[in-house]
Amino acid sequence: MNIEQATQAGDRFTTQQKILLQIRGVNKNFGGLQAISDVTLDLPAGVITTLVGPNGAGKTTLFNLITGHLVPTSGSVHWLGQLLNGIEPWKIARMGIARTFQDLRLFSQMTVEENVMTVMERSSWLWQSGRAAVEKRVTEVLHETALIDKRKERAVDLAYAERKFLSLARIMASEAKLWLLDEPASGLDPRSFDRFVTLLRDYASRGITICIIEHNLDIVIQLSDRVAFLDQGKLLAQGSSQDILKDPHLAAIYFGDHA
Amino acid sequence: MIAYLQNIAVLFCINAILALTLNFIMGYAGIYSLAHTIFFGIGAYTAAYLALHVTDSLLVCMFAAASLSAVISMALALPALRVRGEYFVAASLGLQVIGVTIFAEWKSVTGGLGGMIGIPRPNLFGYVFNDDSAFLGLCVVTLLAVLGIIALLVRGSFGRSLMAIRDSESAAQAYGKHVNAVKTLSVAVSSGLAAIAGVLYAFYMSFINVEGFTLEISILLMAMVIIGGTGTLFGPVAGAALLMTLPAALTYLPFLPPSELGAIQQIVYGVVMVLLMMFRPGGLVGGRSKEKSA
Repeated sequence: MNIEQATQAGDRFTTQQKILLQIRGVNKNFGGLQAISDVTLDLPAGVITTLVGPNGAGKTTLFNLITGHLVPTSGSVHWLGQLLNGIEPWKIARMGIARTFQDLRLFSQMTVEENVMTVMERSSWLWQSGRAAVEKRVTEVLHETALIDKRKERAVDLAYAERKFLSLARIMASEAKLWLLDEPASGLDPRSFDRFVTLLRDYASRGITICIIEHNLDIVIQLSDRVAFLDQGKLLAQGSSQDILKDPHLAAIYFGDHA
Repeated sequence: MIAYLQNIAVLFCINAILALTLNFIMGYAGIYSLAHTIFFGIGAYTAAYLALHVTDSLLVCMFAAASLSAVISMALALPALRVRGEYFVAASLGLQVIGVTIFAEWKSVTGGLGGMIGIPRPNLFGYVFNDDSAFLGLCVVTLLAVLGIIALLVRGSFGRSLMAIRDSESAAQAYGKHVNAVKTLSVAVSSGLAAIAGVLYAFYMSFINVEGFTLEISILLMAMVIIGGTGTLFGPVAGAALLMTLPAALTYLPFLPPSELGAIQQIVYGVVMVLLMMFRPGGLVGGRSKEKSA
């Protein structure tokens, strides 16, 4: 996708897409530190939104506020019209929001197959039914992420790129409608990166809403329908990737030139 | 001689059940409990009390002991939900100390320091296990049943949920695992099954007191799990076999002076443990439990 197409896609969401996630005036303080300051952001259905900004801008904190790992100091997060504030992470996950972690947090001692299988098994009871359907879906996902030959290997024994794809395989299998991906493409070689972009585009076209934290601006341009720019906990701008990236003020902040 | 081997075999079965159930929470859920012997004790005291005052029915005693132990295990689950790693080890140590004190002091129920004597052999559908060989058979069947239950659980969705929580609690939550429910249930299952071992122990010994349920036993059980292979299915059984037969094997070495046997046993234990952890950190059966060093 070139920049022009990205811009068109960016324009498209504002008029046509249903808003799935609404963040309204959210603040998060850690003692005296204001990590998130009055952020208001919508995530429309089927759109890939990228959060960009320098380190410490509050991008991962924003993810944690959506997934319930942190509770906003004030403001609200609504998912399909339901208020998420104060709901436990596992319940929010079951409502259709899933995430990856920057440090992956794979189930390291479990096999590739078990890693994917377990995210589909939501029962807290001693057993659960429907194993055949779970296994079928796991096989599909492992084919899509090219991990099928590694299915019996432990996550900890995989190469870096494979671990990134396993992290993605988990979220694919989770059946979530909103994916929050924390630097999913960092460290991927070009071939893996192409496969990653294709996968994400494919799932977005099937109606999955995706929000990505990313530092690499080439990736931002290639992947994003729209970009939200954060700095020091504030949402400074949002719009098409072209609009955001050509803004000299934002570029100065991003590249560390505050003068 | 046969009686001697039978005795070792029965005690092996009982310890193997304890090691298996401890490994269920330690190896699969990452809950390192130093209070496992307390649930063994609850099972033993429940069976002894029922057999002396109410009924010698094996099934009634097992059911009552497992249920009571599972309920009381909530006292262990509570700290397990709040703290992890070394903090939980310290919390469980506190529980072990409280448990032993109650066993020693609650005279009307546990008989205090003197314990309970004259516990009759149990009765299953009219058959009384007076014969030691028959009792050994009962222990083997129970061990296999516990092994089967644990195998089914750890190889199924529940085992995967436990391991996921062990490897990354935050990721498990982010994928919809109800961490508190799964952990609580795992502690209840482990403690309930440990109580079954206690029932066998009380009926076999016909005498129990607090000496059988001390911190030292809890540590020995943990050693069985680690030496055998934490987080493996058969590791705890192998660990129990090694640590139960090692003292017996040493007594057969002719050149060891009998008066020094106790001390030599301790030294051999120590050396075996150090060597194993150096050269087979995953345990006798291990493979899965050691992180890649790179």
